[in-house]
Amino acid sequence: MEPTALDLERIGADIWAAMLGIELVAKHDGASHDPDDRVVTGLVQITGAWEGAVSVQLTERLAITAAASMFALEPDEVTEEEVTDTVGELANMTGGNVKSMLEGELQLSLPSVTSGRQYTLSLPGAHQTARVAMETDGEVVLLTILKRDTV
Amino acid sequence: MKILVVDDSKAMRAIVKRALSSLDRVAGATIIEAADGKEGFDQVKAESPDLVLSDWNMPEMTGIEMLQALNEAGITPTFGFVTSESTPEMHELAKAHGARFLVSKPFTPDSLDQALSGAI
Repeated sequence: MEPTALDLERIGADIWAAMLGIELVAKHDGASHDPDDRVVTGLVQITGAWEGAVSVQLTERLAITAAASMFALEPDEVTEEEVTDTVGELANMTGGNVKSMLEGELQLSLPSVTSGRQYTLSLPGAHQTARVAMETDGEVVLLTILKRDTV
Repeated sequence: MKILVVDDSKAMRAIVKRALSSLDRVAGATIIEAADGKEGFDQVKAESPDLVLSDWNMPEMTGIEMLQALNEAGITPTFGFVTSESTPEMHELAKAHGARFLVSKPFTPDSLDQALSGAI
């Protein structure tokens, strides 16, 4: 079954609640990140019978909050490596749950993480099949599924 | 009791350890860690844990490859997967190689406890 935005919403809410104790609520008003914000992206690729990628994008502020929760630390104690690890694992869990909904022989890549301001995420030969903006405490989390057109 | 937690994510190892430390079932257990399947295999040989909780998708050696290598070496600790991927095929493969359970991420301490209840 091809995962929908609603599936992505459920997956995101479940992961953040269970792993971080943070409630994510879906926003249906086209919410996105402020161009001045530093945004961290975690991404995993799926290959095989279905090819594409799943990404999790959040501000560096929220990534630090998430890492602090994961490691049971204060936000000012969190290292850059711990932030990268946390966002990578959030992408891994989101991508793994998406993969579990797809059919056929599939492989999930290890996560990659990048951060910066005002950049665009694209996967050559792929288009977006589902995207959801979720919010916690005024911070936006974007979850996206990109599917390669060649398969 | 000694428990080995194998995951390439330090964050996930921290969460699994925290969940374990909240469970009466494994109260007082010593928890050790490894960051991939190869390191996990070496740790099992060196430390002889009673229980191994392993991720599936890891660099160097995956969780299922580690389990296969342990079987081939004749080392059979109680073994369970804690993984973000959970398909019927993976459940079958894990079971065929002797894994006692597969816990899907995200998990709660309760779901981990329930999985452990049938294994230890």
